[in-house]
Amino acid sequence: MDLRQAFKLYKLISKNQRLAEKRHPMFEKNRTMKYFTYIMAAFWACYLIFFGCLFGSVLRDESREACDIINSGFIVFLILDFVLRFAFQETPAQEVKPYKLLPVPTNFLMDVFLLRIGLKSYNLIWLFFFVPFGVLTVALLPYFGWGAFVGYMLGVWLMFVLNGYWYLLWRTLINRHFIYVLLPVAVYAALIVCGMVIQSWMSDGSMRFMRGFIEWNPLCVLAVIAAIGVMFFFNRSLQKYFLYFEIAKAERVKSVRSNEMSYLNRFGVIGEYLKLEIKSVVRNNVVRKQFIIGLVCTVMLSFLCAFTPAYDSGFEHVFICVYCFAAQGVIMLTNVMGVEGNYIDGLMSRKESVLSLLKAKYYFHSGMMLVPMLIMIAPAVTGKFSIIELLGCMCFTPGCIFPFLFILAIYNNTTLDLMNKMTQRPSNTKAQLLASFAALFVPMGIMYALIMVFSTNVAGFLILALGVIGVVTNPLWLKIIYKHFMIHRYENMSSFRATR
Amino acid sequence: MQLDNLSKRFGETVALDIDRFTIQSGDVLGLVGNNGAGKTTLFRVILDLLQPDSGEATIVADGVNYQSARCEDWKAFTGAYIDSGFLIEYLTPDEYFSFVAKVNCIPKDKAEDVLHRYADFMSGEILGQNKLIRNLSAGNKQKVGIVAALLHRPSLLILDEPFNFLDPSSQIAMKYMLEDYNRHTGATIVVSSHNLTHTLDICTRVALLEHGRIIRDYSKSDTDMMAEIEHYFEGNVRHENHSPTTETGTQAIAW
Repeated sequence: MDLRQAFKLYKLISKNQRLAEKRHPMFEKNRTMKYFTYIMAAFWACYLIFFGCLFGSVLRDESREACDIINSGFIVFLILDFVLRFAFQETPAQEVKPYKLLPVPTNFLMDVFLLRIGLKSYNLIWLFFFVPFGVLTVALLPYFGWGAFVGYMLGVWLMFVLNGYWYLLWRTLINRHFIYVLLPVAVYAALIVCGMVIQSWMSDGSMRFMRGFIEWNPLCVLAVIAAIGVMFFFNRSLQKYFLYFEIAKAERVKSVRSNEMSYLNRFGVIGEYLKLEIKSVVRNNVVRKQFIIGLVCTVMLSFLCAFTPAYDSGFEHVFICVYCFAAQGVIMLTNVMGVEGNYIDGLMSRKESVLSLLKAKYYFHSGMMLVPMLIMIAPAVTGKFSIIELLGCMCFTPGCIFPFLFILAIYNNTTLDLMNKMTQRPSNTKAQLLASFAALFVPMGIMYALIMVFSTNVAGFLILALGVIGVVTNPLWLKIIYKHFMIHRYENMSSFRATR
Repeated sequence: MQLDNLSKRFGETVALDIDRFTIQSGDVLGLVGNNGAGKTTLFRVILDLLQPDSGEATIVADGVNYQSARCEDWKAFTGAYIDSGFLIEYLTPDEYFSFVAKVNCIPKDKAEDVLHRYADFMSGEILGQNKLIRNLSAGNKQKVGIVAALLHRPSLLILDEPFNFLDPSSQIAMKYMLEDYNRHTGATIVVSSHNLTHTLDICTRVALLEHGRIIRDYSKSDTDMMAEIEHYFEGNVRHENHSPTTETGTQAIAW
């Protein structure tokens, strides 16, 4: 392929990728979401600019420049960037499929996709922080001048490009096995531990390296470019290797162990849907990962709440206690019915099967309350929490928070790709956003009001009472939700089919 | 096309096991077989979408051998459609055709000429509709994929279950379209299908697959081809159906 043809193809594929972002189903279904995304992006940009200015003007140390102080902790920005990429970046192997039968060499496709990852505007996002910060602490006199500022910005950008490729490497590996989640944890933890144990090595190294860009040290620039080259090469080989797996996803045959779960038979039809819910968690990548993330959040929050002095003060105390119980439900139920979108026609062909399904989901998630409860027993014994508080929070979640989340069953109409790895882009609708906010903040508002008006113990009793009322009346409000679901059924079913 | 010692297993399941099989230039080959017989797996291996455990597929054009897994030059003269996952779903059909044409270096007027030729097949529901491919019906997606595969006038055309999702009129139109294409270009066409009537109508050769093996290879001149194939599939039904036989001799289904 000659250079002209290669450039033409690069332009064509780039245009397609821009269209893919612009025409994402999430925006197609909901224009509000599009504007909301822009507003959120603008908000975060302003936020970063604000912090850039703040750090630029506040950080003063007699022995060190402000930029050196920030540069000594540059690893923190890289970790944050790594985590943020989780929501946005796909692996090229997943994007190659539609091009695989066209006369475009696979190596060239990989190169184009990888190059575009490096050139993505996303890699510039941290410049909202570093530009104002750099102007205040590097560009302006009596500091280093504008030439140094340009070098600094170049260095920052290259570091985030490198971080992007490192993230991609990990993302490709984790698509193969969940165990690779430990890889960045190990790498960053090792760096942080090194920083804590031999402080001068870590912070000085980071500081000197970034200072190299300010001083236009060619070794620093070449070192990062070489590292980017190495990462590019590794990613290219790995992506090529996994391309067949990605394309042949449907071919992989795994035998599953069938479990009768006969202990659920006593619950009749709802028991059958409970079995379905459990099998859905165990057998579907997306649901399983949501469940694991929810469980990890729950356990972490519970341990933080139970065994550390964090969140010990007044309102925070109860606030976090509720989150321990609600985290799993919020993570999983925000997409309620998304899984069922795959077989909604089957469900709708039987009388009230969606109602039974909703009930089963409710019992399943209510049952999950036992996990934080078991962890929180220890601090209850030591007197950190009262039993009333714990019972209150435990009942408040299924009684007052879950109803808000279950309302989403009426409005969620995007089918969740069950076997997608972790790359499914968020498909939050206006209703999902509103219900999630309502689920998290309205009950909190109620609790806050109760704590302000009454004593903690009385508030605990009232929270418990509200929770119990919600739990006891669950057949009633689930029935109401089901009736509204039926009103929206044609619209929802058509959307579920369209998004399969 | 030459298939040598091709094998592929998924766990314990044998998906493909072909010692040697040759498809001659200009053949219209139909692959028939029940679900899981290995038709799609064979296509995927030929098109380098799946790595075989052993063996290789060689495509011969103008005296040059192209091993599909080792180079990609064969894509220049090959058109294929497997399923809608291979379409770029966020483009409109017009944009997609334009993209495929550009990638294949086909001038705009020639591409439009080809599209015009298939306008009837697309029955006014695809071109100029300004709908994204992902919002089209399954049948129309199928048509987009098939027309895109034909856009660069390939000398090898591979279609996996092309009659699927199409309404009866479109199925018939498709049948004529493939016959016509083969007659005018001399292209080699390989299709798989569960529709025996259409397959036997258009194919000059039919291969019957079972558990990844080609167990029969018929040519159009075999007078008993239709009867034998029907007998094969009926035989499978009899083995699976243990319902009692009625007075008329046919098997009744116990409800």
